[in-house]
Amino acid sequence: MSEYLQTVFDKFELRVHKEYHYTEDGLWAKIEAGRVRVGLSDFLQRTGGDVAFVEVVRQGSAVERQAEFGTLETAKTTVSLLSPISGTIDQVNGILSEKPELVNSDPYGEGWLAILAPRNLEDDFKALMNADEYFELMLKKLETEHEKLEVR
Amino acid sequence: MKTTMEKKVIVIPCSGIGKALGSVSREATYEVVESLRKGVTETICLALITSGDEETLQLVKTNKCITVDGCPLQCAQKNVKLAGGELAASFRVVDTLKENRNLKPKSVTFLDRDGQELASLLAKQVAEKVGELLKE
Amino acid sequence: MVDLPEKKIGIISCSGEGCVEGTISRVATRQVLEKLRPEETVTICLPLFLAGGKEERAFAKHYPTITVDGCEKLCAKTATERYSGKPASSIVITDLTGNPGCSRSGRRKLDSDALGLAEKAAEKIAKEVDEVLDHWR
Repeated sequence: MSEYLQTVFDKFELRVHKEYHYTEDGLWAKIEAGRVRVGLSDFLQRTGGDVAFVEVVRQGSAVERQAEFGTLETAKTTVSLLSPISGTIDQVNGILSEKPELVNSDPYGEGWLAILAPRNLEDDFKALMNADEYFELMLKKLETEHEKLEVR
Repeated sequence: MKTTMEKKVIVIPCSGIGKALGSVSREATYEVVESLRKGVTETICLALITSGDEETLQLVKTNKCITVDGCPLQCAQKNVKLAGGELAASFRVVDTLKENRNLKPKSVTFLDRDGQELASLLAKQVAEKVGELLKE
Repeated sequence: MVDLPEKKIGIISCSGEGCVEGTISRVATRQVLEKLRPEETVTICLPLFLAGGKEERAFAKHYPTITVDGCEKLCAKTATERYSGKPASSIVITDLTGNPGCSRSGRRKLDSDALGLAEKAAEKIAKEVDEVLDHWR
C-alpha cells in the first residue's frame, strides 16, 4: 500500500504523504519523538520551480505559527516559508546549502527544511490539515494554478 | 557538418523546452559559438547524439565537449556521457543563477531581459573554460 | 472531486540547436502550448525524455503524441517510437520550408520570414491536435 495519496495532472505525478500534516500554503509537518520536522509539499515545489537557495533562520531562533521562518529562492520566484507551528528551530537541513535541488527531487524525504522543538504542539496541529484534506485542496488549486507546474 | 573538421570544442546545451532555464542554456551556447569563441567552437543537437547519428557521435568522441544544462537533472551531461563523448566540462544554468540572485528569468519561448543577462553571464564562464581547454 | 481534463496531446519537439529549423520547431511548439491549444496540449521535454524521464515516457505511452522535427533526421519521432510508441502524427519543418537539409543561418534569432514559418507550423500543429482529439473522442 502506497504511503502517498497521488494524482496525475497532464504528465505530472503529484503526491501527498499520508502521514504528514499540512498548511494551506503547502508546508508539511511531521511529529518525530516530540519534535516536528517541516518541509515543502510536492505541489508547492512543483509550482515554485527549481530551487536555487534555501534560507532558514538559524538554530535556536524562536518562530511563530504562520510567521516567516525562511525563504526559498527558485529560478523564477521567491517563496516565503511560513511556519506550520510555533517553537524553536532545533536543526536546519545543512545539506540544502549545497544541494538545494533535494527540495525538488525529494520534498518529503531528504529535502526537509528544519526540525522544530514545538511550543504548542496540540493546538498547532489541530489547525493543520490532514493528508486527505490537503489532497482535496491541492486538486482545487490545480484548476487555477496548473500553468505554474514545472517540467521536471 | 563535416567529419573531418579541425578540432573544436563542442558546446552542447540541453535546450529543455519546458522551462526558462532550458532556453537560457541554448542562448548561452549560441553566444559562445557565434560570438565569444567563434571559429573554435561548435554546437550540435543533443538529440542527434542520443539517436546514434554516426557523424555526431564521431564529433563528440574526437573533440572535447562542454555541456550546458538548464537544471540539476543535467540531461545534456547524462546523454553525452552515455554516448561515450569526451566530456571536458559541465555547466548548469542554475549555478549561474545562484551567483546572480537578482535575475529571475520567466519567459520560455523568447527570453526576457533577466534571461538574456543570465545567458550572457553563463556564456562568459563557458567561453573562459573553452579558452583553458584550447590551451591544453 | 475536481473534474480534470483527461484528453491531452503530448507535443514532442526536436528543438535542435544545430539549425534554424530546430529553432522554428521549438518556437512553433511553444506557440501551440501557450496560445493556440493551451488546455489540450502538454510539452514533453525531449532531452529529459531521452535521458529516461519517467513522467515524459509514461505520458507518451498512454496519451497520443505529435512529434515536431526540424529536419529529416527525425530525432523526436525516432525517440518517441523507440521509448514510448508510434506518434499519432509527425510534422517536419523542412516539409513546410520546401528546402531539404538544415540551415545554420538565423538559428539563434528567427528573422521575420522564419517567425512567419513558425506561425504557419504552429497552425499546422494545432490542426493536427484537433484531428487527433476528434479521432480520440
